[in-house]
Amino acid sequence: MRNPEIEARCQRFMDALAHIRKLGLRVIQADERRVTLVLPVQEQLSSGKTNTYLLGGALTTLIDTASAVSTLCVLPEFEIAPTLDLRIDHMKAPTHSRPLYIQAECYRTTRSVMFTRATVYQTAVDDPIAFGIGTFMRLGTEVVDPKMRAVVEGEIDSYDADYPPVAKQEGAQ
Amino acid sequence: MSSLTEMVAKAHASGDYNGLIELIPYAQVIGVNCERFGDEMVFRLPRNPDNLGNPTLPAIHGGVIAAFMELSAAFQVLLQTSTPELPKIIDFSVDYMRAGLDRDTFAMCQLERQGRRVTNCSVIAWQEKRTEPIATARAHFLVKPVDS
Repeated sequence: MRNPEIEARCQRFMDALAHIRKLGLRVIQADERRVTLVLPVQEQLSSGKTNTYLLGGALTTLIDTASAVSTLCVLPEFEIAPTLDLRIDHMKAPTHSRPLYIQAECYRTTRSVMFTRATVYQTAVDDPIAFGIGTFMRLGTEVVDPKMRAVVEGEIDSYDADYPPVAKQEGAQ
Repeated sequence: MSSLTEMVAKAHASGDYNGLIELIPYAQVIGVNCERFGDEMVFRLPRNPDNLGNPTLPAIHGGVIAAFMELSAAFQVLLQTSTPELPKIIDFSVDYMRAGLDRDTFAMCQLERQGRRVTNCSVIAWQEKRTEPIATARAHFLVKPVDS
């Protein structure tokens, strides 16, 4: 079942990351365990002079991001969970004229570690382009930057905004 | 001789590898470049605000670091094996050791094994000291044999 609250939280987290804004990654859907993202077709990734390995590297960023975002689906409160490792298996080359979709799932969470798996596809999830397996380390809620937490939880619009939010003054001109 | 083989020969002769970097769009998006020191290639990812992830530190997005390392490995294979086509990635694995801070990042690669079709390449990425890597990685590439 789609969870609009988790979807919005995932998108706010991604929008706080400069590189992800540059790539225009969007949340398609999310629930308490998994997230689906799309990397739209874009000029900056299609200007290559060859068809081989055209999206080289971009897939890696997509998988890393979706795997990290899937941990947000599971965590009751925002935590910083740095990636310990990531492994990617490439099944076949993607078609560069189509968007890339990724479904990522955080399938196991312990006190210290979170495990994720992700599938990249273009036509259907059972016709995979690549698989990714990731491990993340939980640092706990106490080390979270309060401003970043406020961005992810939607209390302020962006990391550049004032924090704590400046209350609107009544009667101000 | 294929045009790619010619491009590689020209890049080695001139020391300007930008033409090869341009073959992979994402390498340009994140700003990969490389320099040759004798027989060694050092890849560089210059500091770039568009490559940041977590704004708290701020830190380079982990995916960008992994992609930089993967692309460095692909270029290393291309530059070292005179393959007539860009290598195809089979698999890639990265271990993160330290946060990549908002500064230049460097990578060096080592071809650990060159088979007839498959090449294994390891990568180390660092910022301050090579002995304190921010990440290590390895990749397998499918490489078209020179004589086919």
